[in-house]
Amino acid sequence: MKPPVLRCRHVVKRYGKFTALEDLSLEVYEGEIFALLGPNGAGKSTLIHCITGLAKQSEGTIEVLGFDTVDDFRTTRRLVGLVPQEINYDPFFTPLESLMIQMGLMGVKPNRERAESLLRTFALDEKRDAYTRTLSGGMKRRLLVAKALVHEPRLLFLDEPTAGVDVELRRELWQEVEELRAAGTTIVLTTHYIEEAEKLADRIGILHKGELLLVERRESLLERHGGRSLEEIYLELIRKADGRQAA
Amino acid sequence: MSTIALKTLFIKEVRRFSKVWLQTVLSPLVTTSLYFLVFGVALGSRLREISGVPYIQFVVPGLVMMTMVRDSFLNTSSSLFQSKINGTITDILVAPIGAFEMLVAYVGAAMIRAVIVGSLVYVVALCFTWFPLHHVGWTLFFTAFVTATLALLGMVAALWAEKFDHLAIFPNFVLLPLAFLGGVFYSIDLLPEPWHTVSRLNPLLYMVNGLRFGFLGVADVSPLGSAAVVLVSFVFLLGLTGALLRSGYNLRS
Ligand SMILES: Nc1ncnc2c1ncn2[C@@H]1O[C@H](COP(=O)(O)OP(=O)(O)O)[C@@H](O)[C@H]1O
Ligand SMILES: [Mg+2]
Repeated sequence: MKPPVLRCRHVVKRYGKFTALEDLSLEVYEGEIFALLGPNGAGKSTLIHCITGLAKQSEGTIEVLGFDTVDDFRTTRRLVGLVPQEINYDPFFTPLESLMIQMGLMGVKPNRERAESLLRTFALDEKRDAYTRTLSGGMKRRLLVAKALVHEPRLLFLDEPTAGVDVELRRELWQEVEELRAAGTTIVLTTHYIEEAEKLADRIGILHKGELLLVERRESLLERHGGRSLEEIYLELIRKADGRQAA
Repeated sequence: MSTIALKTLFIKEVRRFSKVWLQTVLSPLVTTSLYFLVFGVALGSRLREISGVPYIQFVVPGLVMMTMVRDSFLNTSSSLFQSKINGTITDILVAPIGAFEMLVAYVGAAMIRAVIVGSLVYVVALCFTWFPLHHVGWTLFFTAFVTATLALLGMVAALWAEKFDHLAIFPNFVLLPLAFLGGVFYSIDLLPEPWHTVSRLNPLLYMVNGLRFGFLGVADVSPLGSAAVVLVSFVFLLGLTGALLRSGYNLRS
């Protein structure tokens, strides 16, 4: 059997005394869209950071396609792409330059045609030689997505890619995500728009204060709760977990 | 190791300073040339020889070293610190790039900037007082190892700093005074005790005098002594920077 694309085993992440992730185990499989939901501060970004190299777990192991993210980081980082939650851009470089540089940093020979085609896909070709700081917020976010794709990652993380993005753009972005999945990319996303997750995701994970409350296929989850929306199910679970903690 | 990634990061760092060359190359060149015009050319014509060479020549290696120290430090420290602050360091942290590649790319680019500015200052000086390099080997040795050492110090400072004020401490309150007191403009043999001995605790003294020996064949310290101090500083900072990068200190939370 093929190893899962992502396997987290007993991952713990502490910041000083604070425990952001508690004994978290999770597997994500080839070609699926996995939605990681949870309130602010649940640890979604922390988990993504541990997998992508922005942070290091305190305990436990993380594997991407069977490679350890610490011992074989050069291999796993080549396989993984990240669209970070916070927009960042280098004021020194244009969108075209940024993509070319990112390709090189990811260890791929910089290829102008690929960079230009990504700019077209994300409707940035008119701005390819502009100063990146003159791009609108939505354009900057699209550039982030394009940057995460330069090396054709097998596993793509989208950390709240639609925060502060207008409806039209959100639609386009999710359409792009569907296309990537159709092309074989495995996708893990976080979002606060639960109805988006309900439409897109094959499986849902709900994270609450560093603990996974639930991981389940979307259909079975919805079926089990007979006709209620994912948002209702989500809210009830979170309330229950909060109540359990208060008690 | 990915040579493509290393090459890209190195070129990116070089392009970063060349895109703002007014600030990174011309500005230090003008400042240092002004020092040379005021101290070397204007005052130097009234001063006698110092350590057996005309004063106008005596100040040149000191000024070259002073600007190389500063530019090398500034290049790594501002680039790394800025990417930490504006979040673009993410691009490197998610890439298959290890501590070694980061070291080579950042330090290499800083050395290039420092050597460009240093050479230009030397060329300006040559327009006023022609003198060939006395010892090319020592000149290259001190240029290479001092610029590399300061580039490493810049990386350590950028990793440690949490705001711009932290970073500004180094060039203004550490490097500039130490360079001045390290004999850029005078020979420490002219100083009374205890200042002569105190001066010997200043690592910049060995950097300035090392290059002065390379340029002019005179120095307050033997070139071997200076080389030893520079090498020890280099190895120490190389180890420190490597360890900090590998541990992800203030980079990977
Ligand atoms: N670098 C850090 N240092 C200390 N605490 C952190 C750090 N990063 C995140 N945290 C804490 O970890 C918890 C989870 O944060 P995060 O993963 O960003 O949540 P989410 O992405 O689910 O909103 C929060 O309580 C946050 O304050
Ligand atoms: Mg988050």
